[in-house]
Amino acid sequence: MDLKTLCEINAPAGNEGEIRKAIVERAKEFCDDVKIDRMGNVICHKKGTNPDAPHVAIAAHMDEVGFIIRGYTEDGMLRFSSIGGIDPRVIVSKWVLVNGETKGVIGAKAIHLQSKADREKLLDYDSLYIDIGAKDKAEAEKLAPLASYVSFISSYEEIGDGFILAKALDDRVGCYNMLRLLEGSYPCDVSFAFTVQEEVGLRGSMGAAFGIDADIAIILEGTACNDLGDVKERFHVCTPGEGVAVSFMDLSTIADKELFHAMLSIASENNIKAQVKRSVTGGNDAAAFQRAKEGCRTVVLSVPCRYIHSPSSMCKKSDVDAQYELSSAFLKQYK
Amino acid sequence: MQPRDFLKEVTAIPGLSGNERKVAEYIRDKWEPLTDEVSITPTNSVIARKKGKGPSVLFAAHLDEIGLMVSRIEDDGSLRMVGVGGVDPRILPSMRVSVLAKSGRLTGVIGAKAPHLLTEDERNKNYTMGELHIDLGMDASKVKELVQVGDEVQLEYRFTELLNNRVAVKTCDDRACVAILYRAMQLLQDMRHDADIYFVATCQEEVGAFGAWQTSYQLFPDYAVALDVCHAATPDADPTRTHDLTAVVASAGPYLNPVLRRKLMEVAEEQNIKVQTSVVPRYTATDADEIAISRSGIPTILIELPLKYMHTSVELIDTHVIDEAARLLACFAQKINASWEDELWT
Repeated sequence: MDLKTLCEINAPAGNEGEIRKAIVERAKEFCDDVKIDRMGNVICHKKGTNPDAPHVAIAAHMDEVGFIIRGYTEDGMLRFSSIGGIDPRVIVSKWVLVNGETKGVIGAKAIHLQSKADREKLLDYDSLYIDIGAKDKAEAEKLAPLASYVSFISSYEEIGDGFILAKALDDRVGCYNMLRLLEGSYPCDVSFAFTVQEEVGLRGSMGAAFGIDADIAIILEGTACNDLGDVKERFHVCTPGEGVAVSFMDLSTIADKELFHAMLSIASENNIKAQVKRSVTGGNDAAAFQRAKEGCRTVVLSVPCRYIHSPSSMCKKSDVDAQYELSSAFLKQYK
Repeated sequence: MQPRDFLKEVTAIPGLSGNERKVAEYIRDKWEPLTDEVSITPTNSVIARKKGKGPSVLFAAHLDEIGLMVSRIEDDGSLRMVGVGGVDPRILPSMRVSVLAKSGRLTGVIGAKAPHLLTEDERNKNYTMGELHIDLGMDASKVKELVQVGDEVQLEYRFTELLNNRVAVKTCDDRACVAILYRAMQLLQDMRHDADIYFVATCQEEVGAFGAWQTSYQLFPDYAVALDVCHAATPDADPTRTHDLTAVVASAGPYLNPVLRRKLMEVAEEQNIKVQTSVVPRYTATDADEIAISRSGIPTILIELPLKYMHTSVELIDTHVIDEAARLLACFAQKINASWEDELWT
């Protein structure tokens, strides 16, 4: 299944039905053991050939950031909140889809009507609204009932020097590579977890990690870059085109030292481009795996993505491939 | 062609103020079959004439659009920008833009420093234009090869159909009014008129109404009607400065001719067209201001189309108002005759 299809599916955290269906369908082509657990995670298991090899879990989250309808104005505008962390500055003058069918726009007071204070003041979720063209509150309520899920309208494009431009690269890149990995066979037992609700607090992966009970967990993610414009070099997180980013630590976990070094050596032995993530920002499903049951050793492999959590995130195709190659080489090492 | 389809196509075509050739050519081609003669001026206004024995009248809507211009190429390959016309920097973060380079159209994304790298104070403010960059996904060397400082940058185009005949798309200001002219031409095919009608799509309105200035001098008509957008009501805007989205607006004030306006309102009443009044005590900030004082003066009025979120990429209008405004304009054109001259200041 291509990355375009995966990115264009709408699945804000808590509403992963459509992406789950697509992934289950595809996974069944390459794996006999595909299950949906009680949280809604998709778990696929492939038995290894070497009984002495560890049980490895590999995980990517299916959900993405989005919005949810929480009220109306008298004249038919929709009040909403974000699901996951979306800086409200990136949504002004953008397009959204409500309940997968009703189009809307997020407008703002015209520049001609703004006071000096308006120009400076941040437009937050209390002041922004979605306009679907409804005549009044009743029409708005009918077409966009409370708790309707909302996604960015955003198409997949390829631009510049091998860049992909799409929404939800965080973490459809991980899902895409896990589906590719599912096509292979490995000496070790591998459990593939496509998780839910990562963007609202790593909630799906807790159940997944508990159920899988792996020895080692590898998390495939998309992570921020902050490598352009006004950002001083010492704050750059990682660089697109320099390969898959291996984390030594982030806000939720410290990588297992041995796995961290193993990833870097396997990359160099196999001529796979890899870089160390140079910042400790962000958190991900590794935290849930690390703390499940007696605990498990974890490491995170990320595709550097610019402008994550926006309708226009960007990553380099070669880095997506590097994430696949490194995780594949890692799984194949247990001969 | 339906005016809605015309609008869908014409809003996609680049025509930033000062470089409107492409959109001028598109408009010329669409107007040609509906008029007797059509030409593009040296500065890219389009003039189409539908002949009549007179008096002459000028209908003007501007074809230029706001956008950005590349002002600097940084060593990391990102681009810095300035606004062409009044661009609100708040709309820019994460927008997909098109850099209109000599080598062709390049898609880029507008980025900024991530929120977690901002100070507490910065986090509560909007980004200024100077804090934003355009990312083309290319190395600096390639960017420098393809992009030139001064290249224009077009805002993101997504023609979005909403409920109740409403659409949101960039550049409804003022190509929705160019669509009104187009629709009026269609209606006038089956109507007799004395008026010698000049339909003009003016250039460079967003930077000073220069196309209106030039073409009204060139044509020096007996009467003129400017068409532009005005602000429609939104929850966050001052209700005294906005109008209902669903009906045409006719402005009134010292810059606009009261006799012509009265005649327009009579036509509206005869035709059962709902018209709202906008009171403009001084500048209208439209082509009307310049046309009215061209040469020895031209009696001029202003028809406005209410629009939400002006100067954003989601300018929202009710397409039904395009049809109503076109009907008003065509019926007004039909009424114009030689006797109006005697009524002007009586």
